[in-house]
Amino acid sequence: MLKREKPKERFSYNPKKVLEKLEEFGKEVLEELKVGRNPFIDVPTRGLSNVYFDEKDRLIKMGNKTSRRYLFHVAHARRFMQTLLIAAYIKRLVAEGKHASLREAYYANKHTIPGTKENTFEDQSESDPIIEDLERMFGVLREEMHITADRRGYVYGDIVIKDGEDEFNASRLGMGGWAVPGTVEHIEFPEINVDYVLVVETAAMADRLIEEKYPKKEKALIVATQGQASRGVRRLIHRLHYEEGLPIIVFTDGDPYGWYIYSTIKQGSINLAYLSEKLATPEAKFVGMTMDDIKKYGLENVTEKLKGIPPNKKGGPTGDYKRIIEEMNYPWFQNKEWQRQLKLALDWGVRIEQQALANKSLEFVARKYLPEKIANEELLP
Amino acid sequence: MANSEAEKLFKEFKIQSVSEFFRRNAAMLGYTGKLRSFTTLIHEAVTNSLDACEEAGIPPYVRVEIEELGNEHYKIIVEDNGPGIPEKFIAHVFGKMLAGTKAHRNIQSRGQQGIGISGAVMFAQITSGKATRVITSTGGDEIIEAWVGIDVEKNEGKIFKKIKHPNPTGWRGTRIEMEVKEVRYIRSKQGPYWYLKLTAIANPHAHIELIEPDGKLIVFPRSSEEVPEPPEEMKPHPKGVMTDDVYRMARRTTKTTVRTFLIGEFSRISDKKIDELVKYITALRLIKEEEDQNVREQLLKRLADGEVDGIIASFGGKGKKVLREVRKIMEKSPDKLTWHEAEEIVEAFKYMTFLAPPTHGLRPIGEKNIEKGLLGILRPEFVTAVTRPPKVYRGGIPFQVEVGLAFGGELGSDFDLLRYANRVPLLFDAGSCVITSAVRNIDWKRYRVDDLERTPLVLLVNVVSVHVPYTSTGKQSVASEEEIYEEVRLAVMEVARRLAKYIGGKHRKLYQVKRRKTFEKYVPEISRALSILTGEPEDTIKTLLIKIIEKKFETIEEKPLEAEENA
Repeated sequence: MLKREKPKERFSYNPKKVLEKLEEFGKEVLEELKVGRNPFIDVPTRGLSNVYFDEKDRLIKMGNKTSRRYLFHVAHARRFMQTLLIAAYIKRLVAEGKHASLREAYYANKHTIPGTKENTFEDQSESDPIIEDLERMFGVLREEMHITADRRGYVYGDIVIKDGEDEFNASRLGMGGWAVPGTVEHIEFPEINVDYVLVVETAAMADRLIEEKYPKKEKALIVATQGQASRGVRRLIHRLHYEEGLPIIVFTDGDPYGWYIYSTIKQGSINLAYLSEKLATPEAKFVGMTMDDIKKYGLENVTEKLKGIPPNKKGGPTGDYKRIIEEMNYPWFQNKEWQRQLKLALDWGVRIEQQALANKSLEFVARKYLPEKIANEELLP
Repeated sequence: MANSEAEKLFKEFKIQSVSEFFRRNAAMLGYTGKLRSFTTLIHEAVTNSLDACEEAGIPPYVRVEIEELGNEHYKIIVEDNGPGIPEKFIAHVFGKMLAGTKAHRNIQSRGQQGIGISGAVMFAQITSGKATRVITSTGGDEIIEAWVGIDVEKNEGKIFKKIKHPNPTGWRGTRIEMEVKEVRYIRSKQGPYWYLKLTAIANPHAHIELIEPDGKLIVFPRSSEEVPEPPEEMKPHPKGVMTDDVYRMARRTTKTTVRTFLIGEFSRISDKKIDELVKYITALRLIKEEEDQNVREQLLKRLADGEVDGIIASFGGKGKKVLREVRKIMEKSPDKLTWHEAEEIVEAFKYMTFLAPPTHGLRPIGEKNIEKGLLGILRPEFVTAVTRPPKVYRGGIPFQVEVGLAFGGELGSDFDLLRYANRVPLLFDAGSCVITSAVRNIDWKRYRVDDLERTPLVLLVNVVSVHVPYTSTGKQSVASEEEIYEEVRLAVMEVARRLAKYIGGKHRKLYQVKRRKTFEKYVPEISRALSILTGEPEDTIKTLLIKIIEKKFETIEEKPLEAEENA
């Protein structure tokens, strides 16, 4: 049976650390100016070229390629100015204990530069990357810098959550559970009465499980991601696993998109490779849906056809087929079980949704499918 | 009765013939087409004014007024502040119709047609039937008002009416009023407006005004106070003369022998050269007597190589005999020189070598004045000019090329080529002109001009010579003499190089200014942000940043621009 384990990380939220890093950054620039040198910052390079899969840690990590940005360089000056502007803004946010969304951060810093027709930021697509740059430069999450991510996803289960002044049990907030905020850094868990975390892709399936009283019966904490897991949800899953010792089980649709959601939770993503160590949970396991489920539970007539052109057809592979082939090449899917599932999907040309289990009965997923698979440890790595 | 009839007929015929001659030769004289005739009239009058002023050392003030009297019917008034015309010369100046022969005048002159203002008077007379009104004073007590025409019978100037007025203000100058028909005023690039504009550019010492038929006043102000020296007559160079010149000059000279005549009336001929000339004429006579054509050609080739003594020696006693005969020619009176002998002299000249002709008589506009003219009239952003040293074409005719270039500023967006011969704008026949082909054959891309036609660029090319080789009697385009082509090309390339350097420097400067601005504009932003991050006062950081930027650009701007030689 799945049981809560010993924590491997400790609650580490410390706003002072961020302030120190920002101040240090400012001082370094100022020092360079004082001695008459051209100040520069080394920003880790973004993109696939600077990303690798760490076999040992089982994580997508960022390489050590950096690009140097000078203040007095025609091509760099604007971004350098923008970086300083955002850094100063974050310093005030953190110092005042306020949070801002990415869009708020954009508007708060956008203004016309005196004597020109130029704006400090023309578009949010200019300010967002600067914030990512700061994350990479300092190795801190933007949530730690009080810039909130999109809020998406919710939690239901018998745990006590401490959010600032408030403390509440996540199984007594109604069927809707507790919505995960953009920033979960400061959240603490004074009391945990569950054995594991079940991460569910769709809200509909999470709602079904809650209605069937699955969290209570199985002593599980339901985390609904509502599609691709937001940074907050990923950070929450990471913390629940490392700081609270809860095993993580992921339940998605049986299609390339669902498997990718799992892969992101488990190994991190290319875009946020520099944050994998804080966001990813390599120990997570996958319960379903799998191709084997179709045979085992007799779901052949509720499958859907894969979209796109198969690899053996003219013009293929495209769509789902292409995506599956890409996933087959991921280093973390290089194991017999996953290769087999992905191969079956390609061969059959089908996908299966979580809710297809309702074909058996509404209770089927909560009473039979999940408890049976989890108890028998029919889980994919 | 019959006799008087015949007389009358003959008289009619004579009148007809002079105007017929004028009409037939209109093209040669510049009176073809309604537009071009108009320009020629203005040209003749303005040229007269400018020449008169220059000869008297007066900074010219020329005012041209055009009144429209009816359909293709105008009154042209040209007034100057020149020295004025003495009473007894008025008829001569305005009526010396066709008197100026096509004689080889070794003087650099503006007048292209050789017929000048009298042609204009003639044109007015035959198109409108009206005499030309001349008002002139030399600055003395009286002003003379005269109506001048051409007596077609006698083919000379005639004053129909003359009135003397007092001159209390001491006015000096000449004003002529012509009534003309069969012409049309159009403000095109071949019309009077453009002609005067171009004239103003090439004559920055002149103030030129134009009142157009609609009453619009256009002023081309003076931009140089320096009145050019009048051209000097130059003795002809032996390489540039024809038999007729030698023959005619020999008739006119005051010298007593052919030898002294040749030494005195031509340039680059010395006593020693006459001895050489004698040998060459001898050699040519001897060669002519040789019957075998191959031998003849071989000998002529050797002669061209300078083996004159060897050739004469090879003819032995006969050579000596001919030599003596030829020597005699040099000692006789010039008026006894026969056409054949003149022909022999000219032919010998062709085989001989002479020093290049003197060029002191050439009067280029000059680099400074071209620049002033272009700046004053066109108001460009950049201007430069090159006056090449004098050169010789066809072996003996000195010429000189000068080129001015104007770029940007108030110029239009198109390229313009302004052609001149002896400062006179050439408005027609651009296609067949050596200036056009030389300019077009330059690879402008090498000089940072990507699309010549769409560049705000004006090129002025002036070919200066005592004898400009025109392609046709219209005298509006310069013939393709190789030496002239090459000089135009070299001069244009030189100004183009300067332009390329200017454009290059301008780009670099703009780039530096832009670069500097890039940093400067962020100073307030950076200062504020850094102040928030570090707690250092904003102003301190601002001062620091400005200091660094200043230092950075100081060092960059000190670096000299490297020359961009592309040619």
